[in-house]
Amino acid sequence: MRILLVEDDPDLSRQLKLALGDAGYAVDHAADGEEAQFLGETEPYDAVVLDLGLPKVDGVSVLERWRRGNVATPVLILTARGSWNEKVAGFDAGADDYLTKPFHTEELLARLRALLRRSSGHASPTLSCGGLRLDPRAARASVNGEPLRLTSLEYRLLHYMMMHQGRVIGRTELVEHLYDQDFDRDSNTIEVFIGRLRKKLGSDRIETVRGLGYRLTPLEGETSE
Amino acid sequence: MWDLSKRSLVRRLVLLAAAWNLVVLVLAGVFLTAQFRDAAIRRFDQSLAVLTDDLYAGSTVEDGVLKAPVLTDIRATRAYSGRYWTIFDQPAGGGGLNVVERSRSLFDSDLTIPVEQSERLMSEPGKTLYFDLKGPQNRPLRAAALLARLPGYPRPVVFIAAEDRSPIDADADRFGRITSLALVILGVGLIAAVVVQVRVGLLPLFRLRREVASVRRGKAEKLEGTYPEELAPLAVELNALLTHNQEVVERQRTHVGNLAHALKTPLSVMLTEAGQRPGALAEVVERQAQTMREQVDHHLRRARAAARSQTSGERTPVEPIMDELAVTLERIFQDKGVEIDWRCPEDLCFQGERQDFMELAGNVMENAGKWCKGKVRAEAVASSPERMTLTVDDDGPGLPPDRWSDALKRGQRMDEHTPGSGLGLSIVDELARAYGGSVTLGASPLGGLRVTLVLPRSEG
Repeated sequence: MRILLVEDDPDLSRQLKLALGDAGYAVDHAADGEEAQFLGETEPYDAVVLDLGLPKVDGVSVLERWRRGNVATPVLILTARGSWNEKVAGFDAGADDYLTKPFHTEELLARLRALLRRSSGHASPTLSCGGLRLDPRAARASVNGEPLRLTSLEYRLLHYMMMHQGRVIGRTELVEHLYDQDFDRDSNTIEVFIGRLRKKLGSDRIETVRGLGYRLTPLEGETSE
Repeated sequence: MWDLSKRSLVRRLVLLAAAWNLVVLVLAGVFLTAQFRDAAIRRFDQSLAVLTDDLYAGSTVEDGVLKAPVLTDIRATRAYSGRYWTIFDQPAGGGGLNVVERSRSLFDSDLTIPVEQSERLMSEPGKTLYFDLKGPQNRPLRAAALLARLPGYPRPVVFIAAEDRSPIDADADRFGRITSLALVILGVGLIAAVVVQVRVGLLPLFRLRREVASVRRGKAEKLEGTYPEELAPLAVELNALLTHNQEVVERQRTHVGNLAHALKTPLSVMLTEAGQRPGALAEVVERQAQTMREQVDHHLRRARAAARSQTSGERTPVEPIMDELAVTLERIFQDKGVEIDWRCPEDLCFQGERQDFMELAGNVMENAGKWCKGKVRAEAVASSPERMTLTVDDDGPGLPPDRWSDALKRGQRMDEHTPGSGLGLSIVDELARAYGGSVTLGASPLGGLRVTLVLPRSEG
């Protein structure tokens, strides 16, 4: 397993290199954003540990550039800035996990193991509906190549609708597949989730069939594969 | 504060106008009444002068005896009618005037000319003089008198005509009363006009106040309205002040943030180093490093919370943040498979800064994510025009009621066995208080902990 460690503090870099090496990883080290970007784009790493406060180019920008350049390597962000604002920004940029300084080395190693485990075994059959794509193994969805940010309930609803695309699905059926238990959710639950999905997918993809339910269809001009 | 000085401004303007009105109107009333009285007396005097002229012109001298003309005025014949005349002559060698003829209306009384008036008559012969005197039954009379010589009569003759002046006095008084009444009505009208004028004139000021208030309540970011040229500079200055304030707060926050974050990497190094070399020293270093970290976190929040009280309110839509947090947290707890079911009205707005709401909701939801078995429910609702409530439930083990209040105290680590910051809920408590809100813990219908956050809401 090859890991890229991006950290500008020399002491912390040395410690982390040692710890990662002891854990059996091959470690490359980059001390600034430019070097990190170059290494990430050219070398096939299994995971990246990325500090956000970097000289030259900051970590979030490096991550965004990787993701734009289709570098899909799982990235664990390491940062002193632990506010939610920054965490959300990190995940938005394409991070897979987030660890706030100061941290224990064991925690970093545990997170890294989980990250590698999750990312192993890609190339799964995807569902598609026009420009909409859903990868059930990675639990990711995208519209025209743009990744969608869905909560698990939204994802579950979309997944079910994609499996039954073109068919009108009633509200009761959707609620039953949304919740595994009989939660006494209010009657407009499905409307709420359909509303959110429309906001994220574009409003035309989900059609309301009055009195019957909803139907997911490709947009006009798109072909369903 | 504002209310008081507002009232005094209006009151000051109205009182000033009222005082000025009072002075001007009283002077006008006195002047008008005097003019009216003068004009009435002049007219009265003229009719008296006609009578004296008639007496003078109509009198004849026959054989050294003066004959008064026969006047047709009925009033001069009826006793005490109020209109009188008398013809005197002045005996040679001075002394009192002798009555030669008199009107029948005088009946058995005489007109007496006051001494100083008779002296004036002597000194100004041929000129008609007017004066007041007392007549029969002590009535106030107005008189016109003329001293002249008649051909064939040896002595100077005084013709005097008089008439009761009480009708003019009554007229003048009546005029004065009507004028006063009219002026009082005019004054009241003027003051009412001033009140309206001041109120209407100050409307932009009241509008400015409302705008400033809505900035403070977080309904607007700056003053948008257009103002008259006297107020426009004030609005510009206020906007500049708001901007400046925000900049100062932002700088302060960045500064404190930089300091706090700069300390975290060295702390990481110390922790890692200590972790790699077990021993007594390592334990001390680890414990102290943890304390330092908590201190840094605490003071970072404090700085943010202190900055809070100075910033003008911003409005932050809640729904997009709930979505981002739910997506992010599910990612963070991916291995555990946490499912976050959240609800929020699309138009709900938190009154305060975006990153603060993220911090509040993020920490509460993260805490729920750490402890849950797999389900977290979050629901934000508008609980009143000024307040919103965020309720976060989890299906974890929960906390016994006696530990609910402890869990919010700083340094209490309820989640020692779960990796990550143990400060989550105490931070939320501090931040919520800084916003004048509150955090309460309770039992969740899902079986775990329910955290209820009450926060300021921005309406509209």
